[in-house]
Amino acid sequence: MSDVVDHNGLPEDEWLAAEYALGVLTGAERAEAARRVASDRSFASMVAAWQHRLAPWAGEIEEVAPPPHVWDAIAAALPAPRSAGLWQNIVFWRGFALASALAAACLAVVIYLGTLGGTQPLVASIEGGGKRTFVATVDTRRGTIAVVPAAFTADATRVPELWLIPADGKPRPLGLLQADRAVTIPIPAQLAGQTVSDAVLAVSLEPPGGSPTGLPTGPVIGTGKLTSL
Amino acid sequence: MDLEANRNLIAAALGRIPSGDRGALQTVYRLTSAKLFGVALRILGERSEAEDVLQEVYVTVWRKAADFEPDRASPMTWLIAIARNRAIDRLRATRRTRNAEPIEAASDIADPAAGADQTLVGAQDYARLHGCLDELAGRERAALRGAFFDGNTYEDLAGRMKVPLGTMKSWIRRAMIKLKACLER
Repeated sequence: MSDVVDHNGLPEDEWLAAEYALGVLTGAERAEAARRVASDRSFASMVAAWQHRLAPWAGEIEEVAPPPHVWDAIAAALPAPRSAGLWQNIVFWRGFALASALAAACLAVVIYLGTLGGTQPLVASIEGGGKRTFVATVDTRRGTIAVVPAAFTADATRVPELWLIPADGKPRPLGLLQADRAVTIPIPAQLAGQTVSDAVLAVSLEPPGGSPTGLPTGPVIGTGKLTSL
Repeated sequence: MDLEANRNLIAAALGRIPSGDRGALQTVYRLTSAKLFGVALRILGERSEAEDVLQEVYVTVWRKAADFEPDRASPMTWLIAIARNRAIDRLRATRRTRNAEPIEAASDIADPAAGADQTLVGAQDYARLHGCLDELAGRERAALRGAFFDGNTYEDLAGRMKVPLGTMKSWIRRAMIKLKACLER
């Protein structure tokens, strides 16, 4: 009796979808299910619904950082980019050298002012991919944040946007940055209390005008923690 | 970064891949590769095979990103499904059973107390699924675990739990229908 397969009233298609999503099928049955996912929209939706039910289980699986050569192999397998890479671009390197010098000078001035003044400025070196992209200094007395570009080159279609990530981990938009000059942004009053030591600044690339959602939508190109001098 | 911020970042990056944005794929990789590598490693058990599969997964993401519909699916569900499918395909191609140790049908396998990580898979979704899995018979839950985490087939599971194939199919199907009903409550 226990060998009887209990169909429990689900249509045969849905069983196939469930078994495919769970992964128990083999050979021809698995191949048939995969083929139908690609060709039959209603079947694909059933599979997606089962994947949605089961996926939270993967929360139990521990994250394991893959070795760096995996990304290199993926990048090599992609079609070649349309234009010459950043690293081959001499203009980029000139700009990089200039911007780095400017950022270092800015940092030196800030440190000097910090030792002079009575206020406690905060600084953050915003870094990503092994490069310092921007340097930010917070003037807590005036309630402003000044951001100087370092190793950052303009993107043809996107603009850099600055985010404050306070202790609660939620990014708050601070404003758009410029690739070729420093900008000073007034800190919104409701964020003043959260613009403190150990809060994180992040820069992401966004559509012109900034993120339409109020959260970063593009790649984060650098982050840095605010520290007092 | 919290769950929702990550989810939005991943979905937005997936949306930029079809226009040929390699940086967007790198963003997806940076945010999700450790989780997906864990998934592949769990099913395959061998690092070098899991690395090959991870590479296939992201090349697939690059090609298929236009199929991802942010209004209909969560990006992690979509990515985890690709990783599990690629890993299972690899496992089937090698014709081996990664984990064939007997499962005591009567034993009620304790689930790890650690629970879900909070940054990619939502704790709420996890708790809900977990609550429904707890309502299953121990042997049903054990069979589902073997399929989900070890990539076991019906035949593998029947062998591991020492029951006829038809019985195993019956257990799994009964478990799936209960799970679906519970999650829809």
